[in-house]
Amino acid sequence: MTPLFRRPARLVAALVLALGVAALVPGLLQIGDLADLVGRHGRTLAVVVGLVVLGELVRVRMPSGREISPLSSASAMAAVFLGPVAGEPTFDPPAGLVVVVVAAGLLIAAVVRRARHQPAGLSPLAARLTGVGVAVELTRGWGSPSLWAALADPGFSRGAVAVEMMLVAVTGLLVELVLVAAVRAERQRSPWSAAVRDEVGEAAPLTAAVVVTGPMVALMAPVLGLLSLPVALVPLATAYAAVHQYARNRATNRELIATLAHLTEHGGYTPEHHAERVAQLSVRIGRVMGLGERQLRDLEYAALLHDLGQISLLDPIPDGATVLAAPADQRDIAAEGGRIIRRAEILDDVARYVEGQTTPYRMVRELGEDVPMASRIIKCTNAFDDITGGSMDPVRVEAAMERIHLGLGYEYDPEVVDALAKVLEDVRVGRVEEQPVPG
Amino acid sequence: MTSRTSTHDPRWVATAAYIAVVATLAVVLAVVAFVRDGVPDLAALAVFLVLSVLHVVLPEAAVEGRVRVSLSSVLLLAGLALLGPAGASVVGALLGLSQGRRLPARYRAFNSAQFSLHATVGGLAFLWAGGTAEASRLTDAGGILLGLAVPLLVADITQAAVNLVTLAGVLRVAQGVPMRHQILLILRGTGLAYVGYGVIAFIMVILWSPAGLGPMAAVIVLAPLVVAQWAYRQHAEELRGQERALEVLVSALEAKAPRLAGHSARVAELSERMAEHLGLGPQQVADTRMAGMLHDIGQTSLPTRLVRGLDLLDPEGCREYARSGATLLGDLTILRGALEPIRRHRDDGDVDGEGAASLPARIVGLADAYDLLTQVGSPDGPLHAPSQARDLLAARVVDDPALVRALDHALARGAEVGRAT
Repeated sequence: MTPLFRRPARLVAALVLALGVAALVPGLLQIGDLADLVGRHGRTLAVVVGLVVLGELVRVRMPSGREISPLSSASAMAAVFLGPVAGEPTFDPPAGLVVVVVAAGLLIAAVVRRARHQPAGLSPLAARLTGVGVAVELTRGWGSPSLWAALADPGFSRGAVAVEMMLVAVTGLLVELVLVAAVRAERQRSPWSAAVRDEVGEAAPLTAAVVVTGPMVALMAPVLGLLSLPVALVPLATAYAAVHQYARNRATNRELIATLAHLTEHGGYTPEHHAERVAQLSVRIGRVMGLGERQLRDLEYAALLHDLGQISLLDPIPDGATVLAAPADQRDIAAEGGRIIRRAEILDDVARYVEGQTTPYRMVRELGEDVPMASRIIKCTNAFDDITGGSMDPVRVEAAMERIHLGLGYEYDPEVVDALAKVLEDVRVGRVEEQPVPG
Repeated sequence: MTSRTSTHDPRWVATAAYIAVVATLAVVLAVVAFVRDGVPDLAALAVFLVLSVLHVVLPEAAVEGRVRVSLSSVLLLAGLALLGPAGASVVGALLGLSQGRRLPARYRAFNSAQFSLHATVGGLAFLWAGGTAEASRLTDAGGILLGLAVPLLVADITQAAVNLVTLAGVLRVAQGVPMRHQILLILRGTGLAYVGYGVIAFIMVILWSPAGLGPMAAVIVLAPLVVAQWAYRQHAEELRGQERALEVLVSALEAKAPRLAGHSARVAELSERMAEHLGLGPQQVADTRMAGMLHDIGQTSLPTRLVRGLDLLDPEGCREYARSGATLLGDLTILRGALEPIRRHRDDGDVDGEGAASLPARIVGLADAYDLLTQVGSPDGPLHAPSQARDLLAARVVDDPALVRALDHALARGAEVGRAT
C-alpha cells in the first residue's frame, strides 16, 4: 500500500532548488525591462555572460572529485557590484535582473556541458543563484544609501567601499557553499558538519581569490571600462592555474599508488581489481562516517596497498583472500606491507593503517587498543570483497553481510558495518561526484 | 660552491669582485635617480617597504627549484610606476635583502644590489617610454595605454633582462655555468610569467591611484597571488610524495628479492652520472635515472621462489621481466620517458627486430651489469673486483667505446664523492 504522504527522498535538494527559483522570481517579475536592459547595456551584458560561461567551462576538479568554477563565480560577483563603467552607461539594472543575467550565463554553460557529456547538476546551479541573489540584494537593495550607491559616489572612502564589497562577496559565496554542502551531505549521507567543513575547507583558498576579484572589477571599471573584467581575472587565473596543477598532481600520485597495488595483481597474488574495489568502498564508507579529506586520502592509499605485504610470500594464498587465511599469517602480511610502505617517510600514516587492518575490533572494545578508524574500515571492506569476489550479485552480497554480521562487535566495528550497509543500499551514498541520472 | 671554499680561491675573489661591481652600479644609479626626481612619496614608500618584508613570513613558492609566482616581481613593477625609480631602488634593495634568509651574507648583499639595480633601471625605462609620474591623472583609455600600459611593459622587459644578465653573470663567475645555457634555462622557466606579473602590476597601479583605493590595492591584488603560492607549495609537496611512492615501488621489489637491497639506487646513480657525462638533456638524464631505479620492477610479477633463485647475470633469462616491468608501469604518464630504457635495458643489439636500443637503455644496461658483477653476483658465484668487471664489460660493448668511457668517468666521480663524504 502506498502511503498518502511520503517524505521526498531528497528534501534538502528540493529545498535548495526552491531557493534558487525564489532568487529568480523578482527578476522574472521584471522581465519586461529585459529588452530595455539589453538595449542599453548590450556590451556589458555580453562580457559578463561570456565570462560566466567561459568560467563554467574551465572548472577545476579538486582532489576529492568536487568541481569548482572560480572564474565563473568571480564574474558573477563582478556583475553584482558593477556600477559606473568608463565608456558605457552606469550598470544600473534592478537587483532581480542581475540574477537573471547570471542565470542566463549558467544556463548556456549547462547546455554546452550537457552537449559535451559533462555533468551539469541542477542543485549546484540553484545554490549559485541563491548566493548571487543574497549578494545582489545586500549590494543594491539594502541600506541607505546602498553599497552600490556609495560605489558610484566618489564622496565615500574607496577603502571602506572595497571592504564592504568583500564582506558581501564572502557572504554570497558562503551561502552557496553551505547549500552545496547540505545537498551533498544528504546525498552521500555524511554528517552535515563534515560536509560543510570539507566543502568550505577545500574551496577556501580559491574562494579567497574570488572574493577580491568582484570588488577589483567594480573599482577599476570607472577608469578602465569593460576591459577591467577580463584584466581582473588575470590574478585569479594565476591562482586557478596553480590549484589546477596541484590537483592534477594529486591524481598522478594516486595513479602511482594504484600501480603499487597492481604489483600483487600482476604477480598473481591477489585477484584483479580487488584493491581498487576495496579502496572505493572504503572511501565511501569513510565519507559516510565523516572523515576529513586528508584522512580519506590516506585511507584510500592504505586500502589500495592493504595486500602489498603478499608480494614477498613464498607460497601465494589461494585467491589472495586474506580473510580466509590464518590470523597469524594475516598479521605477518600486514606487517610486511607496513614495513615496505614505511620506506616513504611521508606515508607513515598509510603504513599504520595497513598494519592495523588485522586487529579485531574486540581489542578496541575490551583492551582499549588504539586501532585507527581507517584500519577498521579496511578490515571490513576487505572481508566483504574477499567473500563476494567483487560481484554485486544479491545472493553473494547477502552471504558476505551475514558473515560480517556474525563477527559484529567481535571482528568488525559495528559503526563501520552500519556505514557499509548504507553504502550498499544506494550507489550515490558516499560519492562526491554527481552520478549521471539513470535512464 | 661549498662552505669550505677558501678565501684564496680565485673563483671566490672573482665572485666578490663581481658582487662589488653590481653593488656599486646599483648605488650609483640609485643616487642618480634621487638627484633626478627627488624624494618619493614617503607614505607610499613606507607601505611598499612593509610589503617587501612580507617574504619573511611568506617565502616564495618554488617548485623543482623554480619560483612559480613571484610577489617581488609584481611589487617592483608596481613600485617603479607609483614611486618612481628612486623609490623603486630602495624597495628593490630591501626586497633583495629579505630573500633567502639562510643564504650567506654576501649572497644576500648580491641579491639586494641586484634587485635594486633592476628596479632602478626598470623605473628609468618606464619614464623613458613615456610613463607618467602621476598615475592619478590617468582618466581616458588613450592616456592609460600610452602613459601606463605600454611603459609598464617596457619596464617589465627591461627589468627582466637586467635581472637575467646579472644573475647569469654571477652564476658564470661563481660556479662556471655558461651564461648562454643559464639564460636559456631561466627564460624557459619564467619568461611567460613576467608578462603576467606586468598585468597584475598594472591592475595594482590602476586601483591604487586613478581608482583612488590607495594601499588597499596591494591587499586586493596580492591575495590571489598568495593563494597561488599556497597551491604551488602543495604541488611541491605532492611532487615529493611522488618520489616517495617510487621508493616504495623499489622497496616492494627488495622485500621480494633481499639480495637486491641497494642495487636499484646504485644503478640509478651510476646511470645518472653516465647520462650526464654523455651530454643528455636534463629531462633525459632524469628519465635515465628513473629507469635505473625501476629497471628490475618486472621481477615483482614473478613467483618469489623464482626471483630468489634467478641468475641475473644470464642475459637471456632476464629479458622477459624487463618487458613486464615496462608493461606494469605503462599507465604512468610521469614515467613515459623511462619506459623504453626499462623495457630494453637487457637487449644486446637488435632484439625482436626493434632496432638498436636507445642510449638511455644501453646506459642502464651497462650500469646494471656492472653493479650485478661487483655487488650482487649470481646466486652461487663469486663477486668480481671492480677493475675485472669493468674489463669484462668493456669487451662486451667493444663497439661502443663512448659508453665505456662514460662508465669509467661515472665510477671515478662516484669514488670522488664517496671520499668527500
